[in-house]
Amino acid sequence: MPDNHGHRRRNILLRIWDAFWSPTGLFSAGFLLIAGFLAGILFWGGFHWSLELTNTEEFCISCHSMETNLGEYRETIHYNNHSGVRAICSDCHVPHEWQYKMKAKVMAVKDVYHELRGTINTSEKYEERRLEMAAAVWKKMKATDSRECRNCHAFEYMDFTIQETRAAQNHQRAVDENMTCIDCHQGIAHDLAPGYLEEYQHVVETLAQGRIPGTASRVDLASIKSYLGFAAD
Amino acid sequence: MLSLLDLLGTIGGSILGLPGILGVALGMTTRNWIVAPILGGAIGVLSPLILGGHHSAEVPVTTLDYSVSTIVGILAGLVGCAIRHKGAKV
Repeated sequence: MPDNHGHRRRNILLRIWDAFWSPTGLFSAGFLLIAGFLAGILFWGGFHWSLELTNTEEFCISCHSMETNLGEYRETIHYNNHSGVRAICSDCHVPHEWQYKMKAKVMAVKDVYHELRGTINTSEKYEERRLEMAAAVWKKMKATDSRECRNCHAFEYMDFTIQETRAAQNHQRAVDENMTCIDCHQGIAHDLAPGYLEEYQHVVETLAQGRIPGTASRVDLASIKSYLGFAAD
Repeated sequence: MLSLLDLLGTIGGSILGLPGILGVALGMTTRNWIVAPILGGAIGVLSPLILGGHHSAEVPVTTLDYSVSTIVGILAGLVGCAIRHKGAKV
């Protein structure tokens, strides 16, 4: 549309772009610095607050697909125990470190996609995918030395003298053999699928193949089975 | 599929983390197109070393982490330098 001078008015987006990059004659540098600082605090606070909302149990279980694993988790010691200290979904599945937390949030977009597609919206579909989903989590936990477990459970602060004998022995062995939490505690919060030990061994081998020779995991299927009380074959 | 997702997650984490944010900030401190990516790249290299550890777990920082972090840092430095050129006369 022509303006009063007969020129064609520029697109509003272009005018905003020009105004954005034009020097301001109305505000001092100090005003802009203080305003930018305050805006930064508000933006960052809002961003962090929103991010923390996605870490709440209510957010995680708001998806229909999460009903099965929520029910299983509620039967475990991480939900209900003598001390009342609880580990919620994000405590085990979202790292505390910023860049890894961001990575987990970006990767979690796939969960929204699969919720919309209904990939695991029936118990049959869920059971079909249970081992695959568990293996993905085991892979992450094994690769990160069970980082999320160790936010609460650190070998350094475990008093083996007040643990059950079997637990103390196996934890000492885990320290000696450089094992990590998920090597033995695969079903700590959710039910296990048939064939899980073989799948876990596959995860361990896959990760070991990608490592520098000599640093490969020393954990083997026999040691895991022996911990769990199964006969090692 | 998971590795692609892993790559996307690593890139996103770097952009929203120290290499992306501090890289842009450092890039904005100079008009020199060589210095800006060097500053950003340096943050990209240092970031996994500074922030990649854990108080109890021994988490290895992978080559992918280093590569992505450095590339994001370099690009962020260049973006910062472009902002300096576009938005400042000095």
